[in-house]
Amino acid sequence: MKRKSGKEILGNSIETVRGIDNQSISTNYRGSISFNKTSLKGNEELILDSCPTRALSAIKDSGQTTIAVDHGKCIMCGYCNQAEPEFITIKNKPVSPTKIKKLLVEYSNSHIQSEKSFEEIGNELREKIKKMFGRSLAIREVDAGSCNGCEVEITALNNPIYDIERFGIHFVASPRHADILLVTGPASKNMEMALLRTYEATPGPKIVIAVGACACSGGIFGDTYATTGGIDKVIPVDVYIPGCPPRPEVLIQGLLLAVDRMITNGK
Amino acid sequence: MNKIWIEEYKKDLLGKFENRIDKTWKNHNELHLFLKNEQDIPEICNYVYNDLSTRLATMICTDERKLGNGFVIRHVFGKENGEDVFIFITSKIDGAILSYPSIAMTVPAATLHEREIHDMFGIIPIDNPDTRPLVLHEHWDKNIFPLRKDFGLNTKIPRQKGEYSFLKVHGEGICEIPVGPVHAGIIEPGHFRFSVMGENIINLETRLFYAHKGIEKLAESMKINDVLLLSERIAGDESVANSTAFCQSIEKIASVIIPRRAQQIRTIFGELERLYNHMGSLAGISMDVGFAFGSARLNILKERLMKLNESLSGSRILFGVNRIGGVRCDITDESKKIIIESVGFILSDFENIVTLLKSKSSFIDRLKDTGIISKQFAQDIGVVGVAARCIGIDVDSRRDHPYSAYLLHRRETPQEVMQREISMQKRNGDVLTRFEVRVQEVLESFDIIKASLNLENDNLYINMPQNLESFRSALGYAESHRGQTVHWIMTGENNSVFRYKIRTASFFNWPIIEQAVLNDIVPDFPLINKSLDLSYTGNDL
Repeated sequence: MKRKSGKEILGNSIETVRGIDNQSISTNYRGSISFNKTSLKGNEELILDSCPTRALSAIKDSGQTTIAVDHGKCIMCGYCNQAEPEFITIKNKPVSPTKIKKLLVEYSNSHIQSEKSFEEIGNELREKIKKMFGRSLAIREVDAGSCNGCEVEITALNNPIYDIERFGIHFVASPRHADILLVTGPASKNMEMALLRTYEATPGPKIVIAVGACACSGGIFGDTYATTGGIDKVIPVDVYIPGCPPRPEVLIQGLLLAVDRMITNGK
Repeated sequence: MNKIWIEEYKKDLLGKFENRIDKTWKNHNELHLFLKNEQDIPEICNYVYNDLSTRLATMICTDERKLGNGFVIRHVFGKENGEDVFIFITSKIDGAILSYPSIAMTVPAATLHEREIHDMFGIIPIDNPDTRPLVLHEHWDKNIFPLRKDFGLNTKIPRQKGEYSFLKVHGEGICEIPVGPVHAGIIEPGHFRFSVMGENIINLETRLFYAHKGIEKLAESMKINDVLLLSERIAGDESVANSTAFCQSIEKIASVIIPRRAQQIRTIFGELERLYNHMGSLAGISMDVGFAFGSARLNILKERLMKLNESLSGSRILFGVNRIGGVRCDITDESKKIIIESVGFILSDFENIVTLLKSKSSFIDRLKDTGIISKQFAQDIGVVGVAARCIGIDVDSRRDHPYSAYLLHRRETPQEVMQREISMQKRNGDVLTRFEVRVQEVLESFDIIKASLNLENDNLYINMPQNLESFRSALGYAESHRGQTVHWIMTGENNSVFRYKIRTASFFNWPIIEQAVLNDIVPDFPLINKSLDLSYTGNDL
């Protein structure tokens, strides 16, 4: 007897992603900016001025100008690419999360690290969670004044396509049940106290992940009377996930990094 | 057309209040009246609101002391019955005690605006019954007025002691349930205080503005192109609607008309935005009644639409679509094919899911007669969008104040008009109606997208004049998936923004939830909340 395909039996095909490699990200996607040349000849003013969040900076060294981009500030507007298309291109490859904030800064003479598929990361993560907790990983999401773009992406982690629960990760209702706080937004002044109290209510070992450009650096909202300019101004942050907003693939990478950190630090 | 209406309203208002109006002028579809004395605000507003049957669109305060005008307050009323007119009632406030008479008692929708202006400018609305702070919580210094020009953007204000007092419901067996600002789900911050008797909600008080990021103040320090990026981030899921409103306002100030192709592309992206968000809301409704299958299927469609967004615009939530004077991303012949293909696929799947949901009596039972809003209350507080249309208040900026390419799609025959009006009459404002209205809007969006795809061969944008005239202002508006969003901009010197006033749909729609949950039980609250689809960040700014 000919075996029927999954679609014929279920009525629908299975939608959950198996391996997301770079091909599944659309070529149009604004993932990160990258530099075509190692140094900039000519005027850096134009390029620095084009950036609304001041993510770009110039370092002058023996007559050469190197441009650095802080991915923790970059909101992927593409204005620098419009200002200087020959020097800056926009790639569809998103920036990887990092444990150390300084690593978010990339110079025009360095490279972005390689990445694995969504499922590979997820499986690795599952193994590590098992080792660390002997159970699943519980996440509490805290919105500290974001524009809700990051929330749209975090919600997407729960949809059948990304289905993060298959790796043993759950979003829980209370910080008292959580291992990880996933924090978005520039930490608005009105949320400062609530954020602090949520952090205090979370039992150790705990990890804080700053999600998105606003959480990493204040992003476009910066550091004003109404914001504090980043989550790490209020509570200690362990992992930074850049992007405006970060894609689900990048979010899961950040989670992996967070669990890694728990294991190495024994926190 | 609007020239004729404006002339008529001008004649009418001048005839009535000639000796109290200093001057009048016209700006595109806006009729401006400058009052001699701020004490006349209530009477004239009352006339415009009640006798000319308008709705409050927004209230704007500006600090024009530098220009020698003192503070200026503008009450903006919009006609919503097919006449594309906005009426501005402007008055100057520069007395020793900064105050003006409140219109909250005749135009209840103004209450929140007046409280906001009090917080941000320190101008007292006399006779507004609600004197509590709104935007700046109790821990802020009472003498801080962030939107005044002499307040620095980066000033850090030390925290003060202060406690917000919620309305106490007394009685035997009454309990309080505090919820938020950190919620159980993945949602934005806000506090809800329920007073319950058993499971029944006796009173709900919402406390918002936890996500206040100072967007309006921040805009005043930015370059105009950067303010565009800021406007996209007022609410990430309303990026196209808000940036369209922002761009329109600047384009109106510069008196340019953007190319037809750009208008069509704006329309397409506006509808794509409505689509993926409505899918999300419908999925949420299904989730909140505990029907995971429906929400899973609808979330798959949402994800597909976000993938489509990504391939068209480079951003999954449509950042970077607009630019001042047109659009930044094109829709090529190839992307047209992708749109037609994916939209057809999604549409057929969507229709199947909706048929399935409607056939489940346990699903419909939870939605029916849950979270009913009263028409009178909704009318009073100026509710917009789906929340208004679900109770038969027929407002839709796409039709009432046509922008982008919407004019084309909205030619109704008299019979269709009648059918629409009858269906409006039948709506009773429960969650089920909101579910059905959303489903219907999703289907309409598919039609609008298809109709807009015959793109004109034209430029993507028009070059803007080098310098915008300073201290000119205009209103921009768009219909987001939540309802009408109104932006008002006054330009400053050297292409800067002097004042950026944003009023999103959520600002008008939030109070309705306090009324909608009464007599329902606590477990229905998430459902009612989801069905109203309110944005916290769009409200808090």
